[in-house]
Amino acid sequence: MALENLVRPNAGGRLMVMAVAAVPLLFVISGLAIRYAAFASISAESGFAAYARALCRWDCAWYIGISEQGYERFPISNHSNVGRWGFFPLYPMLVAAIRAIFPFQTILVATITSMVFSYAACLVAWPLLEKNMRAYVLYCAFLLSGPFSFHFTTFLTESLFVLLTSCVFLALKRSSYLAAGLSSALLSATRLVGVFIVFATVIQMFREYRERGGLTLSFPRWVLGRPYLLVAILISPAGLFAYTLFLYLTVGDGFAFLHVQRAFGRVAGNPLVFLWDGLSAVPKTGWLPTAPQWSALAAITGLALSAVLAARRQYGAALFCALCIILPLITNLASMVRYVVGLAPLTIMLAVLLSASKLISLAASVFFLGACYFMTVAWIGGYLALV
Amino acid sequence: MPWSDIAAPYQRATSLGGYALAAVLAGSEIVILALALNPNVNADYRAYYIDRTTTCLNRDATGSYTLGETVSFRSDGAKRAASIKVCGWSGSAGDGTHSLGETSRLRVRTPLLRNGLTATLQMAAVIRPPRITQRVVISVNGVRVHAVTLSGKEPRTVSFVIPPAALGEAKALDIAFDYLDGIPPTPAASNIYKRSIKLVSFRLDAFETD
Repeated sequence: MALENLVRPNAGGRLMVMAVAAVPLLFVISGLAIRYAAFASISAESGFAAYARALCRWDCAWYIGISEQGYERFPISNHSNVGRWGFFPLYPMLVAAIRAIFPFQTILVATITSMVFSYAACLVAWPLLEKNMRAYVLYCAFLLSGPFSFHFTTFLTESLFVLLTSCVFLALKRSSYLAAGLSSALLSATRLVGVFIVFATVIQMFREYRERGGLTLSFPRWVLGRPYLLVAILISPAGLFAYTLFLYLTVGDGFAFLHVQRAFGRVAGNPLVFLWDGLSAVPKTGWLPTAPQWSALAAITGLALSAVLAARRQYGAALFCALCIILPLITNLASMVRYVVGLAPLTIMLAVLLSASKLISLAASVFFLGACYFMTVAWIGGYLALV
Repeated sequence: MPWSDIAAPYQRATSLGGYALAAVLAGSEIVILALALNPNVNADYRAYYIDRTTTCLNRDATGSYTLGETVSFRSDGAKRAASIKVCGWSGSAGDGTHSLGETSRLRVRTPLLRNGLTATLQMAAVIRPPRITQRVVISVNGVRVHAVTLSGKEPRTVSFVIPPAALGEAKALDIAFDYLDGIPPTPAASNIYKRSIKLVSFRLDAFETD
């Protein structure tokens, strides 16, 4: 999709296509080399399989379980209270399907699939970055060789989430509402917060309607008069509804993905209190922020960047990102860093902002590659802020 | 015949198809939402996951037990104790099995007894000043049989009689420990993580009357 506008008959166009394809490929390779070096520095094992297993931390084990065994019914075996229901099915299903064709270890299949999805996410971001090569290089460096690149290259949903989010926004940019709806449906089957992207779709429809001179009050009538718009809106949460139906039929509780959060000890509370508690968790020794402080800072940064998106009149993306941060923040700060770096509109905008200056862009690229090593070491070591 | 005349019926068909698809989607989503709002689950699932009225997810687990047998809830008896633990326990550890949440349960299969039973438990309180005592209410098959206040870190032997009324015709003994003073690890933590006691050993004997 990202490349279709690039195919031009002249040599310059072909070179550009090659550059657009090659840049993320280079960062795939450099990222793999840096993360492998980090792995090798702390592990006695060697080889790609050992590397893939070492990077499979925290929620990764749940996705492997779903991919290999599916979801449990109730009661859960082994006297466990914690079902896999809280983890959405699309990505583990895709990995299971690919594994059926390429019968390797699940984590190997998932690691390669994640890298392919992240590479594809970069290609889709090219038109979203207004074909700004400097911003594109920076974005690819962040996603594939950056400090959080392990999130996008192991068995977590981040790579697919970023890819599908980018697909939705690209489709909206081109006013292809049905394509946006279908991508949204897949996004809502990837993570619960994916369902919020429907607001971005409606906001884009409203913007287009207003640009045509429509009156605000007549907008619902305008939408109702266009069945393809209705389908685009109604199909957006289809992934979530399909999963809800599946859980009702297997567990008896369509909202098991929400209710199982009790077994993870998640308690609904005031997001502001959670943020304050996180910021107040000062380090007892040294000056480096604690894991709760990093999580709180990530949430605040994410919300601030969402406000910047709104200021740049990208209201749909701003609302989507803010909701994707606020919803998990209602329970606590867990995984907040991962959730924020997995919001494509924020990282795309950050790449655009940083690319405004050549020097800053270069410094950021170097920083991303350097930080990749140390953050990978921290991830493998189980550093709590990166969960 | 102009193209517009041919296209018009197709446009109408596409439009009608679109509305039909939208209606199917909306209808399906309403039905699924209605199903999800009316879960088809048992009382234990509902109490733990949905209503959150208990921290102890009751399970269909009953361990075998011979009267007079002392079951260790320390690491050395982990395997034996596992079969009678239903929910609300963490461990075993070296100092016993730690309670988790606001209620814990044990369940054992017992022979029918006319005179009741004597239970002998070794338990220690989990203490974190200013909380220095732990009140525990013990019920058997839903009948409250004993209440105790534990203090100090050392295990204490607690004995009480389980009256025949609590046994009834039941083939199993469902022993529930309700903790009134559980200590959460942090103020914002879920009540499923509260700590109250460490159970060290458990024993049942036939109640002997003079």
